[in-house]
Amino acid sequence: MNVVIDTKQVKDGSVLYVRGEIDAYTAPLVSKQLLPLVTATDSKTVSIDLRHVSYMDSTGVGMLIGALKASKQSGCQLVLENVTPRIQRLFRITGLSKIIPVKPLGGEED
Amino acid sequence: MSRRHLKKKYEELLLAFLRLGAEDQLYSAQQLGKWFLRQNVAPEDIIDFHLAALEHHVELSGPVRASFQLLTEVMIEYGIAYREHLFLRDKQQQLESEIEVAVTMQHTLLPEELPAPSALDIGMISVPCKKMSGDYYNFLVRDDHTLGIAVADIVGKGIPAAMSMSMIKYAMDGLSGCAAFPAEMLCHLNRVVERNIDPSMFITMVYGAYDLQEHRFRYAVAGHEPGFWYRSCRKELYDLEGSGLALGLQCDSTYEEYELQLEQGDLIILFTDGVTERKVGNHFLRRTELKALIMELIDLPCQEIVDSLYRKLLNLSNHELPDDHTMIAIRRTK
Amino acid sequence: MAERCSIHVHTEHDIVRARQVGRHIAKQMGFGTIVQSRITTAISELARNIFLYAGTGTITIEQIRQGKKIGLRVIAEDEGPGIPDIRKAMEDGYSTSGGLGAGLPGVKRLMDYFLIDSVPHRGTKVTVVKWRD
Repeated sequence: MNVVIDTKQVKDGSVLYVRGEIDAYTAPLVSKQLLPLVTATDSKTVSIDLRHVSYMDSTGVGMLIGALKASKQSGCQLVLENVTPRIQRLFRITGLSKIIPVKPLGGEED
Repeated sequence: MSRRHLKKKYEELLLAFLRLGAEDQLYSAQQLGKWFLRQNVAPEDIIDFHLAALEHHVELSGPVRASFQLLTEVMIEYGIAYREHLFLRDKQQQLESEIEVAVTMQHTLLPEELPAPSALDIGMISVPCKKMSGDYYNFLVRDDHTLGIAVADIVGKGIPAAMSMSMIKYAMDGLSGCAAFPAEMLCHLNRVVERNIDPSMFITMVYGAYDLQEHRFRYAVAGHEPGFWYRSCRKELYDLEGSGLALGLQCDSTYEEYELQLEQGDLIILFTDGVTERKVGNHFLRRTELKALIMELIDLPCQEIVDSLYRKLLNLSNHELPDDHTMIAIRRTK
Repeated sequence: MAERCSIHVHTEHDIVRARQVGRHIAKQMGFGTIVQSRITTAISELARNIFLYAGTGTITIEQIRQGKKIGLRVIAEDEGPGIPDIRKAMEDGYSTSGGLGAGLPGVKRLMDYFLIDSVPHRGTKVTVVKWRD
C-alpha cells in the first residue's frame, strides 16, 4: 500500500518515477501527479518509469487508461518504460500495450 | 447493571485471586473483562474498581495509592479511544445496512439459476471480496441449441464498478441477437462501455457461444485473463488462447473469434483474475500451480470442482480474498 | 529440548488447565510476564471455542525451533461443526460484543503467526506461534 512518486522535468516534457505498489489505494495518488503533467500545455511527452513498481493490478491499468485518454485530448504522448515481466503480462492481456508504447525492462520493445 | 454492582463483582474476584492465586481466577478475570466490555465499562473505571477493592482489604502505601492517579491519566486516553471505537463500530453497522440494500439490488442483475442443458454439466461460483461484486457473469439462452456464456471483471472498485454492472447486463440483454456471434457481441458492448463509463474504468470479458448440437464453443476475448480447457482423452489441461482489447479502452475495437471443438468429457473453465491474482505464502500464485490444483479436482462434478478450488485457494492465501472470485466450469457429458 | 503437552478439552476446567500449562511453558521459555499473559489469553480463547462450539477437542502446546529462533506453538484441534464462513469469523469488530464471534481476530493479534483450517461438518484446526525475541 505504499507508493513513492518523483518527477523530473526533461526537454518538452517530464518523467515520472514510481516506486512501490499501484493498486486501488495508491492509483489515485499516482493519478494526481500524472494528470497535471499530461495536460500541461507545453508537455509533448510524459514517460512513466515503472522499474521499481513491485505490484500493479487492474486498477493501476485503469488509472493509466484515464491518463491516456487525457493525454490524447491535450496532444501529449504517454510512454511506459522499464516494465517488469509480470506487469508486462498484465498490459498484454488487457491490451494496454497495443494502445500505449510500452518499453520492457531490458530495452527491446514488445 | 449498576456501577456499584460491577465494582462489587470486580472486588470479589480480586479477593479470591489474592487469596488463592490460581489460574481459575485469571480465567474468570478474562470472562469478566469480556462482560465489562459488553457493559461499556471504560478502562479508567476498571482502575478505579481495582484501587477501591485494594483499599478495602489491603494496606496501601502512600506511593502505591498515588501511582494509581498517574495510571488513570494514561488510561483515560485509552478510554477515549475505546469510546471512539464503539461509535465507529455503530456507524459501520449503519453503513453495512445500507450496503445490504444495494447488494440485494445487485443480485437481481445476476442470473437466478444456472442453465441445465442435458448435454452439459455446469458449475459456477462467484464470491465478492467486499459486499458489492465487480465480477459479472451471464448466460444467454438464445434458442435450444445456443448457450451464450459471459464472464466479466469490472475494473474499478466497489460501488461505482458495481453500478456499471447494470449497464452491461441491460446492454447484453438488448444484444441477445448477437448471442451466437461472440466477436460482434464484444464489439457492440465495447462501444456501449466506452461511451458510458468514467475514463479510468474498463471491463475485461470473455464471451462465448456454445453450440449444444455441434458441441463447438466459439468465443472472443476482451482483455480477460485466459481460461483453461481440458481434453479428457489426453488428460491434459490447456490454456484457452485468445486476446483482445479490454472493453472501454477504445471506441472502435474489433475482436477475433476462436473456436474449440469439445468431445465427451471435455471441460471449459472460465474465471476472473480474482482467481489468479492470489498471494500464496510469499509469492503470487503461478498459472502452473493453478493448473495443478485444478487437475487434482478434474474428475469431480463441475460444481464440486469450482467449490473445492475456491476453498483450497482460500486456505492457501490465508483466508484473504483480495479480489472478487468467479469461476465457471462446463463439461460436455453426452 | 522439546517440551510438548497435549490437553484434552471438554469442560471449562480443561480451559483453565490449558491456560496453566501454557503459562508454565511460556515462563520456562523465558517469555516476559505480559507476553505470558498474552499467550495464555490466546490459548484461553482457542480452548473456549472448542468448549463452546465443538464440545471436545485438543490443545497441544510445544516449544519449536526455526533456525536461531525459538517459539511457542499452540495447536487447537477439534472435530466439531467447523466454521462455515471463515472470512466472517476473522472480521474485526465483533469479538467482544454479546459473545458473538470466536475471538479469532483477537487471537491473531496476540500472536506472531496464525493459521486456520476449517471444513464444515469435519472440524477446525488453528495453529498459532509466538516467537521469543
